[in-house]
Amino acid sequence: MLYRETGDFKVSYRDDQQTFPIIQDRWLFWGMLAVAFLVIPFIIDDYWEKSIVLPFLVFSLAAIGLNILTGYCGLLSLGTGGFMAVGAYASYKLMTAFPELNIVIVILLSGGVTAAVGMFFGLPSLRIKGFYLAVATLAAQFFLVWLFNKVPWFYNYSATGQITAPERSIFGFAVTGPEATPAATYLFCLAFVTVLALVAKNLIRGRIGRSWMSIRDMDIAAEIIGVPPMRTKLSAFAVSSFYIGIAGALYFTVWFGAAEPTEAFGINQSFLVLFMVIIGGLGSMLGSFLGAAFMVLLPIVLKNIMVGGFDVLPVLAKHVEITLVGSLIIFFLIVEPHGLARLWSIAKEKMRLWPFPH
Amino acid sequence: MSYLIETILSGLLAGVMYSLVALGFVLIFKASQIFNFAQGVLCLFAALTLASLMLGNTPFSELLHTLGLPNDWMPVVPIWIAVPITILVMIGLAFVIERFVLRYLVNQEPIILFMATIGLAYVLEGMGDLMWGSDVKPLSVGLPEGALDWMFDRFDIYVDKLEIAAAVVATVLVIALSLFSQYTRIGRALRAVADDHQAALSVGISLRTIWIIVWSIAGFVALVAGTMWGAKSGVQFSLSLIALKALPVLILGGFTSIPGAILGGLIIGVGEKLAELYAGPYIGGAIENWFAYVLALAFLLVRPQGLFGERIIERV
Amino acid sequence: MEPETVPQRDVLMEVRNITLRFGGVTAIEDISFDILEGEVRAIIGPNGAGKSSMLNVINGFYHPQEGEIWFRGEKRKAMKPHEIARHGIARTFQNIALFRGMTTLDNIMTGRLTKMHRNMFWQAIWRGPAEREEVEHREVVERIIDFLEIQHIRKTPVGRLPYGLQKRVELGRALAAEPKLLLLDEPMAGMNIEEKEDMCRFILDVNDEFGATIALIEHDMGVVMDISDRVVVLDYGRKIGDGTPDVVRNDQTVIDAYLGVAHE
Repeated sequence: MLYRETGDFKVSYRDDQQTFPIIQDRWLFWGMLAVAFLVIPFIIDDYWEKSIVLPFLVFSLAAIGLNILTGYCGLLSLGTGGFMAVGAYASYKLMTAFPELNIVIVILLSGGVTAAVGMFFGLPSLRIKGFYLAVATLAAQFFLVWLFNKVPWFYNYSATGQITAPERSIFGFAVTGPEATPAATYLFCLAFVTVLALVAKNLIRGRIGRSWMSIRDMDIAAEIIGVPPMRTKLSAFAVSSFYIGIAGALYFTVWFGAAEPTEAFGINQSFLVLFMVIIGGLGSMLGSFLGAAFMVLLPIVLKNIMVGGFDVLPVLAKHVEITLVGSLIIFFLIVEPHGLARLWSIAKEKMRLWPFPH
Repeated sequence: MSYLIETILSGLLAGVMYSLVALGFVLIFKASQIFNFAQGVLCLFAALTLASLMLGNTPFSELLHTLGLPNDWMPVVPIWIAVPITILVMIGLAFVIERFVLRYLVNQEPIILFMATIGLAYVLEGMGDLMWGSDVKPLSVGLPEGALDWMFDRFDIYVDKLEIAAAVVATVLVIALSLFSQYTRIGRALRAVADDHQAALSVGISLRTIWIIVWSIAGFVALVAGTMWGAKSGVQFSLSLIALKALPVLILGGFTSIPGAILGGLIIGVGEKLAELYAGPYIGGAIENWFAYVLALAFLLVRPQGLFGERIIERV
Repeated sequence: MEPETVPQRDVLMEVRNITLRFGGVTAIEDISFDILEGEVRAIIGPNGAGKSSMLNVINGFYHPQEGEIWFRGEKRKAMKPHEIARHGIARTFQNIALFRGMTTLDNIMTGRLTKMHRNMFWQAIWRGPAEREEVEHREVVERIIDFLEIQHIRKTPVGRLPYGLQKRVELGRALAAEPKLLLLDEPMAGMNIEEKEDMCRFILDVNDEFGATIALIEHDMGVVMDISDRVVVLDYGRKIGDGTPDVVRNDQTVIDAYLGVAHE
């Protein structure tokens, strides 16, 4: 009975279409934001930063990106790893070519470069649909990784073929390179995630989001009521790639500080992000975050239980993990194809009526 | 000149391998509209099981070791027992997949089923590693190997006997499958389901049985493909990645056409080898990784329905 | 509405000598007719007569091999369906084509997409121009929701609605585009008598209040004769009759080919 909209009357359409129409949700949102910005920076340590928090933030962005394309516009992509690589290598080239350039601008520009590349690889979506398109995005995945492996210009002719992020700072705090503190890197990524998540939400609830969803739900009808398919699909590819590119740039510059394309941006990365989106919930912003958290935490928890608790060999634990992840995917698809986000909204429905069953 | 012929020949034969993987895929797609991403891993799993049986590896040996149980009790199984056992394993797998996955996903959207098969690919990959370990395994099923002498002597062209054998096996398999679907009751039921799900159901064909059968057949085809690949380069994880090449083959050939799968495989195989030969040196080599996809993509833009697919008239 | 007012109206659309083939099959053969400003024009005919194909030609989904379409006094160039929608033609579909993952409100809002122009930058910021635009169009959509009496399902995903309501939402989506010409493909198919009566009322009100010209396909002859000003009859892709309901009803060719002699 505590959690419901009763008594919280909307007197204007503006109020009615806000992001969190229910007042308790708004409190929860602001509360979490306050904790994230004001409490966590003081308690975060190296392990939490590199193993949990940064992976969560970076993959949340990638998942939002893929969710825009797949969950909102209905275009299935298996090229996420390749597009993350574009973001990473764009940021590397920008950082080394223009050392004066502010890191925030570098990362935004990397997103822009990825958006352009994404639009290019999105062109086939105008002729082909569904699975055919999914296979077409594999072309992007393999081609891009090959490109960054084979063309030395991209890794500045370094002998190892690796790229390493130079140190950059904002307001005097290093956010990349070995000197960066956990609090600084965390706040840097958090700021990106917060702003970009709000932007994504704004895009989704307005004109552009509705065009995407209409193409997703029934492309022919959408075209007949006046949604231009080409512009709409390409805009989804552009926005999606922008987010994925920024995720790739942060992955390389802030989280790892170094990268090598085959390992860091291979097809497994594409699947990982796809799993996040499925498990979290296709077509849900909240789902992107829940899915990222789930897929980041699952291996850590499993590993701690098996290796720490039962003394299982790490190799064996890895195999069990792969099997379990696969089983969980299937389990989720069977039980709740709409993911964790749907479970959350069902729980909220229940809470609204609580303590009455109906 | 002989080098060019050699390249084309080896491309054709590599293409046969792709076709074999694609074949299993087409079977499943026709019967159930499921885009089975796990077909490649199915090949790996089948080959892994066969190779390990023949090597006398104990299933789950590492796990048993961790639990403190004996893990070295499996005898070396001769090939004429190992093959039937593997076939049984693949049929059992089809049962398990139907019972625990497909049954619950009837009437879901295609994209959901597709993602379920990605999950399935992970499960199979993990299970394969858990059961048999992740080391590279040799697989020798008594197929001839080495250069085909008279070709080499007379025309100075190197052709591996193994690849000829693969081509023969593939041909036999395709003929057997088409005879099966033409002349047996089950075959007719399969074609009925492929044509029209609803209509087939209404005349009393059990969808579940069909699914089990079709996944069993796909498992068998995967075993053949996996054995061929394994005999060539050992059974290892990269096999399932090579099997991903079946996807561009499918795009080229159309998802529902068996002749398409074969022709597509051959085109991709040859195209890839030729591209590597002529364009590879100029742009850094190893373009085999992506060339097939780009070729398929270029083709799609011209003919979205594939080589043998039917032109789609959209209606509202 | 009295038939004698018909001649005074302007021609809104003229279809001239349209022929449409799929491979060897001729779906429509040399059909011409006109639609006058503000009228309710019915297209009838047995199954497979080419009625839906005709609507698909009018809104640009199919491109006829021969013939031309004149709309508002100009010959129409070859256009994509989404461009034609922007020129003021909206439609509903025989098998409901709503966006199942979206709410009623969002579905009807998609009808306004052709009229919303804030670019991605403003959309991303939201506060300010984008939000104002959203509210402006929301007001129009809310008027349509009131008109169709579907306030209670405003925020329900349309996939969960019963058939009759889905049809109504679809009409709402088409209305939201404020079309000059509204195409309705079997708006009453599969409805019970009460739902049909409601739908008839909405169609006539749309015609009156929103001033939209309507071209509709319908199988229920009673409905067609009641609500339409003029009727085109198709059979096997050819036009076999054209005129007011009374004229068509008494036309011998039409009776033979379609209504059947035994009917009388």
